[in-house]
Amino acid sequence: MTTDTLQPTPWTVGGTPLQSRFFLGTSHYPSPQVLQDAVTASGCQVLTVGLRRLQPESGGGNSFWQRVQAMGCHILPNTAGCHTAEEAITLAQMAREIFGTAWIKLEVIGDDYTLQPDTHATLHAATELARDGFQVFAYTTDDLVIAQKLHQAGCAAVMPWAAPIGTGRGPLNPYALDVMRRRLPDAVLVVDAGLGRPSHAAQVMELGFDAVLLNTAVAQAGDPVRMARAFADGVAAGRAAYESTPMPEHAAAQASTTTVGMPFWHGA
Amino acid sequence: MTLQISLNGQPVATDAATLQALLLAQGYDLATAFACAINNGFVPRTQWPERALQNGDRIDVITPIAGG
Repeated sequence: MTTDTLQPTPWTVGGTPLQSRFFLGTSHYPSPQVLQDAVTASGCQVLTVGLRRLQPESGGGNSFWQRVQAMGCHILPNTAGCHTAEEAITLAQMAREIFGTAWIKLEVIGDDYTLQPDTHATLHAATELARDGFQVFAYTTDDLVIAQKLHQAGCAAVMPWAAPIGTGRGPLNPYALDVMRRRLPDAVLVVDAGLGRPSHAAQVMELGFDAVLLNTAVAQAGDPVRMARAFADGVAAGRAAYESTPMPEHAAAQASTTTVGMPFWHGA
Repeated sequence: MTLQISLNGQPVATDAATLQALLLAQGYDLATAFACAINNGFVPRTQWPERALQNGDRIDVITPIAGG
């Protein structure tokens, strides 16, 4: 019997069992068809979407939504662009009505240049939304204490950045991510933002993160469909490595081949 | 009575008495996936027919778009 050793082990987030550990954003693709093909290639089961004003003459924006619905994935609406807890809470309530889901990717931006989240406002909004029955996926920094408080507030997932949104720089502070994973062993932790290459995804999955969320690295690749598959493989490889327990590091070299029986050495 | 309101950030003069009447008057298809807020507060769809408009109300109508 052949076993696919990279097949991700099932897991649960926000009350929903999932097979894939790869969440994909829906923005910046060259065409709707490329988006659809990338989603298929990625094997992802969760797609993020945004919310913006609707003008009556625009035709409702329904073509995008109908196409995404047809992909059959779980929808994770975001509060991107909100700068206060109050804005984010209202947008989450609107999203819950539109999508019929309690899932919300909570984003409250504190700095427009880095798109760094306002973690205090995020915590305030997360607390209110969790109390109101939302499954909150909270986008945050790699600050351990805020992550602990978001987890304690009842977030379904705490989602630290690897690097600022859209930079593709990969984990800027792997130590902080590693410590967060170790200090919050029972939390669902998803690395969200800043990943640029499949090796970045594998790196954070090897640390034990439950999943990754990315958009630009796939959408803006020269071949988004192949890159989607490459990321899926990176995520799967990283998870399999984590579950396989990587070897401990050593300061000194250790020969792989035994020295016992080594020829040409004569003690006498 | 004509009300002066803001709809998606644009000034609008309307005779509509309720939120739903305003949406229909502005040409929104109620079958479309969208949600509404007045003065930054969510107004559930079930309340649209009865939700009275006030002069100066700020109304937002939002719909799904691509996002990360």
